[in-house]
Amino acid sequence: MRRLLLLFLTLWFTTNLLAVDATLKIEKDVEQRARIALVDGSAQHHAKFFDILLSDLKISGHFLADSQLYRGGFSDSFIDPKLKSRDYLLKYNLMTGEGTKIYIRLLRASDGTELYKKSYSIPSSAKLPFVAHKAISDINNYLKYPDISWINRYVVFTRYTAAKTSEIILADYTFTYQKPIIRGGLNLFPKWADANQRTLYYTSYKGTLPALYKIDIYTGNKSKIISSEGMLVCSDVSRDYRKILLTMAPHGHADIYEMDLSTGSKKRVTNFNGIDVSGKYVDDERSIVFVSNRLGYANIFKKGVDTPGVAPVVYHGRNNNACDAHDNRVVYSSRESSSSFGRNTFNLYLTSSHGGDTRPLTTTGSNQFPRFSSDGSVVLYIKQSGSGSAIGYINLASSQSLLFPVSINKIQSIDW
Amino acid sequence: MMKKIYISTIALLMFSGCAQNTPDASGNIADANRLTSDTVTVDENNMFEDGSGMNYNSSSDGFASVYFDFDGYSIAPSMEKRMQHNGTKLQSVGSRQVKLEGNCDEFGTDEYNYALGLKRAKAVKDALAYQGVDTSNVVMVSFGESSPVCSDATDQCYAQNRRVDLRLVR
Repeated sequence: MRRLLLLFLTLWFTTNLLAVDATLKIEKDVEQRARIALVDGSAQHHAKFFDILLSDLKISGHFLADSQLYRGGFSDSFIDPKLKSRDYLLKYNLMTGEGTKIYIRLLRASDGTELYKKSYSIPSSAKLPFVAHKAISDINNYLKYPDISWINRYVVFTRYTAAKTSEIILADYTFTYQKPIIRGGLNLFPKWADANQRTLYYTSYKGTLPALYKIDIYTGNKSKIISSEGMLVCSDVSRDYRKILLTMAPHGHADIYEMDLSTGSKKRVTNFNGIDVSGKYVDDERSIVFVSNRLGYANIFKKGVDTPGVAPVVYHGRNNNACDAHDNRVVYSSRESSSSFGRNTFNLYLTSSHGGDTRPLTTTGSNQFPRFSSDGSVVLYIKQSGSGSAIGYINLASSQSLLFPVSINKIQSIDW
Repeated sequence: MMKKIYISTIALLMFSGCAQNTPDASGNIADANRLTSDTVTVDENNMFEDGSGMNYNSSSDGFASVYFDFDGYSIAPSMEKRMQHNGTKLQSVGSRQVKLEGNCDEFGTDEYNYALGLKRAKAVKDALAYQGVDTSNVVMVSFGESSPVCSDATDQCYAQNRRVDLRLVR
């Protein structure tokens, strides 16, 4: 009996100690982030540039960045004694005038040793945000932290400007840079068509029927891919960019099709006399997740591309009407209030394509249009609350989140 | 006692009667309704009287818009007169192509709202076919939430946006 009691106590202590270890590990991870301070050595301080550098450092999940700005000489290696407790100092010198030049130096805070330096030059200051992103991702790479090159990517989105009128706009991830690239008429659902973000698909309503076009954003050259009665959306692109998932309605209701771009052949993936939309590849592109109302309300389902069975992925909520996927991870928005009129609460959830490990990502406001970064490490979304709209980012590994206020009336669709 | 009540009642009626639409000494209009409530502007081109209480119309070429419940795509019995009207009208245009435009209120998101608009257009097309009308010259396009006719934050306004418009293809 005493032995049994001893065994029980040993097991109990082991279990509880492991639990404590798990908690300690989380705190240790926080400690492992590099402490860094920004030192502006420019002749004239540029507040927006500083803000962008700071945001980049924070959202990376790899740095504990000082929110305070420090001023100091760019070229010298003098370290203010109060900054010596940091791991690194990032000194920068921004020069504007004829063209824009940015110089950066990464110093070890303890002794002022220069670890890395680089300069950037761009013809105009419009793309300054992208230089800030590039500088931080270069430093991140130098320090051999996990890749954050997603901060260098364009975000493309559609905003409504009037009835049946919209603009497709390019932006950096903070929305500091914005440039309309397609204007005139109703153009919707932009989707990147290649890894280098040189071309994109979009739906044009110029003709009698919606048509899918592919456009080169540097030359303006475009080609028509397909048109369909009712609606037409390019919902996802395969990793090799040779296949696309389309929502089309040749039979009067929205179904999901896979199109082989080299042959032009189409395969009907779903067949339901209701609503099937937003197909996204999962599980090595052998399956898709999609939004369907086949149970009487909008929910997330999964189906093999070549197999008939359909199964729900999400088992809570009565209106889960938007989703995105990366590998076997799925993010979706769920309506959590039932006002027929007025603003509802929408929250984002992360789950797997097998339906397990579900966890909430947001808890307040209206959070919609979830999109994974190209590496799946970060989720972008649009947040609307009483105070206005914002574009939000959640780093899934570090749980670091950032919101950038935006003054855009109504976003229709977004891709990253 | 009764006499007092009688006199008071007569006095109240007299004063309330005098207050209506009578300029006071400074020339102001005493009827507060004129100042606090706005008048309507009726556009006879955009009305369709069907007795349903839903007199709006954003279709063109003589067709009548069909309205739907929140998140729904079934044609309500109150839309029957409009559907009969549209059936007759469709037969009268001969071989000309007619477009059914499905629309939604602003509360849906992303692709789902466009699919919902399309289901509404399909419901109208199927109902026309059920009437025995030839729908081979009918095309459907969903505009999702992109084509609101009203942008006020009222139930009445949102209801005007959940609709199918019919018009000739030009």
